[in-house]
Amino acid sequence: MSSTEALVADLSRMLSPDRVRAEPLELALYGRDASVMEGQAAAVCFPLTTAEVQAAVKVARAHNRPIVPRGSGTGLAGGSVPVGERPPLVIVTTKMDRILKVDPERRVAWVEPGVLNLDLSHRIAHLGLHFAPDPSSQQSCSIGGNVANNSGGPHCLAYGVTSAHVLAVEVVLPDGEVTVLGSEDPDAEPTGYDLRGAFVGSEGTMGIATKIAVRLTPNPPAVITLLADYASVEDAAATVTEIIAAGIVPAALEMMDALITRAVEEYVHAGFPMDAAAVLLVEVDGLPEGTDAAANAVTRIALDNGAGNVRRAVDPAERALLWKGRKSAFGAIARIAPNYYLHDTVVPRTKLVEVLTKVYEIAARHDLTMMNVFHAGDGNLHPLIVFDRRDEGIMDRVWQAGTEIIEACVAAGGVLSGEHGIGLEKRDYMHLIFSPDDLDAQARLRAAFDPDEACNPMKVLPAGARCGDLQAVPAGAWI
Amino acid sequence: MKLDVDADELAACVSCGLCLPHCPTYRVTGDESASPRGRIAAMRAIEADDRPLEGAFTEFMDLCVQCRGCETACPSSVPFGRLMEGSRHTLTESTRYQPWLTRAAYRSLRHHRLLLLGSSLLALAQRARLVPRRFGLPALPVRRTPLKASGDDVWLFTGCVMDAWLRPTHANTLRVIEATGAGVALPDDPGCCGALQAHAGLMHQARDLAERTMRAFPGEAPILVNSAGCGAQLKDYGHLLDTPEATAFGARVLDVHEWLAPRIATVPAPRGNHRRVALQDPCHLRHVQRAHLPVRTVLAPFVDVIELDDEGLCCGAGGAYSAQHPEMATAIRDRKVAAIARTGAKVVASANPGCALWLRDAGLDVRHPLDLVAEAMDGR
Ligand SMILES: Cc1cc2nc3c(=O)[nH]c(=O)nc-3n(C[C@H](O)[C@H](O)[C@H](O)COP(=O)(O)OP(=O)(O)OC[C@H]3O[C@@H](n4cnc5c(N)ncnc54)[C@H](O)[C@@H]3O)c2cc1C
Ligand code: SF4
Ligand code: SF4
Repeated sequence: MSSTEALVADLSRMLSPDRVRAEPLELALYGRDASVMEGQAAAVCFPLTTAEVQAAVKVARAHNRPIVPRGSGTGLAGGSVPVGERPPLVIVTTKMDRILKVDPERRVAWVEPGVLNLDLSHRIAHLGLHFAPDPSSQQSCSIGGNVANNSGGPHCLAYGVTSAHVLAVEVVLPDGEVTVLGSEDPDAEPTGYDLRGAFVGSEGTMGIATKIAVRLTPNPPAVITLLADYASVEDAAATVTEIIAAGIVPAALEMMDALITRAVEEYVHAGFPMDAAAVLLVEVDGLPEGTDAAANAVTRIALDNGAGNVRRAVDPAERALLWKGRKSAFGAIARIAPNYYLHDTVVPRTKLVEVLTKVYEIAARHDLTMMNVFHAGDGNLHPLIVFDRRDEGIMDRVWQAGTEIIEACVAAGGVLSGEHGIGLEKRDYMHLIFSPDDLDAQARLRAAFDPDEACNPMKVLPAGARCGDLQAVPAGAWI
Repeated sequence: MKLDVDADELAACVSCGLCLPHCPTYRVTGDESASPRGRIAAMRAIEADDRPLEGAFTEFMDLCVQCRGCETACPSSVPFGRLMEGSRHTLTESTRYQPWLTRAAYRSLRHHRLLLLGSSLLALAQRARLVPRRFGLPALPVRRTPLKASGDDVWLFTGCVMDAWLRPTHANTLRVIEATGAGVALPDDPGCCGALQAHAGLMHQARDLAERTMRAFPGEAPILVNSAGCGAQLKDYGHLLDTPEATAFGARVLDVHEWLAPRIATVPAPRGNHRRVALQDPCHLRHVQRAHLPVRTVLAPFVDVIELDDEGLCCGAGGAYSAQHPEMATAIRDRKVAAIARTGAKVVASANPGCALWLRDAGLDVRHPLDLVAEAMDGR
């Protein structure tokens, strides 16, 4: 019996044979997420309960296999791409998709990690509540993935990212033990270290979340959505700076450039202007009067800064359509070219125009098509290179441009990742913003949870972060 | 192995996963292999590496309902239906994917009179309790009221199975169209649209049937269809046959609700309380023809339309799918039944016979929208 067959046999005994897979074609489908990275799994399993996750982790450890947690596989940084010295066991949470308990009084829900972000909000809509983190992938991504990546979304400008909405997490640790981090009581102060805080954003390197207590947010009584179009990216960026300087905190403040706006409009037909150089999507919410005043102020600032037109969504249907457009942006890219490679840097808002100009320049120099769609309100850029990987030699140019973009952002005082995580793809840039001491401290935190690097190895921290020698993307992963 | 698909269309998927929740088989299983993204990745793997068509690949393709919910969900407009039909065509040509018995069964749909006779015999057998219920067949009519043509403003496509099993719906469709003042022509031998054959990858059979059907509807008059699956297929003849005549034919085809919507105000509507009806959108109307909104316009004066909250997720019927994959189809249907239950409505409207029969089999009272309109016109 080969070592993989032995692994599969043991897993089948602990779970059930139909939820353990090792057929080569099926394994290939778990080699990728929504990024361009690719890896190879030894086997894939689909637990239904915490006990089964625990069993799977223990079997993998007994067989000396690393484990890779996976939710919906919409990650953009290769976080769930299986890499390791030996091909890992991928543990998929899609079948753990029950909403366990909803407490509308205390505004808390316990969910399994495979519950899709938007499904939760739909299921509690009749209570006037929603789950606030709204990544653009929210219809597809799992709450477990949100927790692991500490994901953000357009509305996190006002409401905060996932970490602000996770009260407690039940975790199967890399050694197979089960523990609960945090407390479901929204008012409880953590006693001792806030380990929940350390776990949220750990990208599957500190264990597998098996139950999550999330905070539920009341729907705002009034919402106004505005769409402003511009003849130049600079004017749009200036509007962003001025809105924030005026002390207005919009619920969301998003920018799309010309190419992406056109691609999106061809899909949603929401009336996005096809000839604008940039558009801003601004949402304000709260009590009716304040909201109206804020919308008027935003409109005035936009027009003062050169907006051609500011449109106000007339009803929830129109608002939904505008958001559908914004949230389809990454997905709509194949209308231009079939592959994308994107970064997720955060730069100071005052440097937006400067960085954007640089980013377009870099792309032009490498003869690559560049588009930008991003959370302008918090300076979270998503410079996207679109390409066709079938073109000879294009990957080298894409990599090179990507590195230059990162360097330009870091030089402007930015950071590597706003919300998508570091994963596999960006770990080798970590040394650009962290000193060896910083990296060492992070590696020791991780080691406290996972001393053997058995859980999602080779992710987040560059290889050898603990001794300082940096390697490139690991052999066995390719893009 | 090269599949019978267009290389650029296959390359168009960016693997974003935005289609995942709109795929019924992914919703039920959570398996990447049962998702649009996974199926596309599998097609690519077959083309890129030398992998066998038999086994896993065939299973992944075969489990797809071909509802095309992934197409309307995909921001990059990946033409998934074409990729799937092409892949299945390769499977039927190069493997034993559709055994001869299945092929023969599909071929029999072209013999309209035979089908009517066979259906009547089956109905008698049902009455005699000779057909076990687990075959999932609806109660079939023994006798069918004849339909009468009333003019030549529009054609009504009567089809094969629809005509054999649901003739009263045809009669009601005629009445509603006639109530707008139009005269309806009926074909001598309407034949079969070829949808089931195309979905199975039996392209030669599908093309044969398309040519026959085109001959049955001469002239310029619009061809109205009250079965969403057939309508989608007829509209697609241009792509299937790739001739100017076929394209022109496809352009004459309308779902009957598309034609009725701008004219429905001329049909007298009853006063008083309307009954509450949950509206199920057949995939071939919503995701393929994208003509589900006119059904609402047509129904609005006659009943209270209650929307489902599942964004048009498939019901699992899928033509022959529910017979070939009863377990998966039932799991998919359970979700639909739950969505319908959440509306609290006692009656369901569905503009596709396949969906209607499949949902009736779950014990629901499912009617064609035009049955409901005709009844409301009668004050029933
Ligand atoms: C079109 C598109 C738009 C996007 N928009 C945004 C956006 O606006 N904001 C944003 O922040 N992100 C965005 N993303 C990225 C992605 O959707 C998020 O990172 C999301 O949270 C990932 O969830 P997932 O279920 O797909 O996780 P996966 O991709 O499966 O996994 C992501 C990471 O989480 C780990 N993980 C998954 N489940 C668990 C678990 N139960 N326990 C421990 N670790 C786990 C994995 O190991 C991996 O490292 C977008 C992606 C796409 C394709
Ligand atoms: S089919 Fe479309 S929606 Fe689905 S993964 Fe591919 S590009 Fe994304
Ligand atoms: S056609 Fe339907 S079943 Fe097939 S992949 Fe698309 S959504 Fe899924």
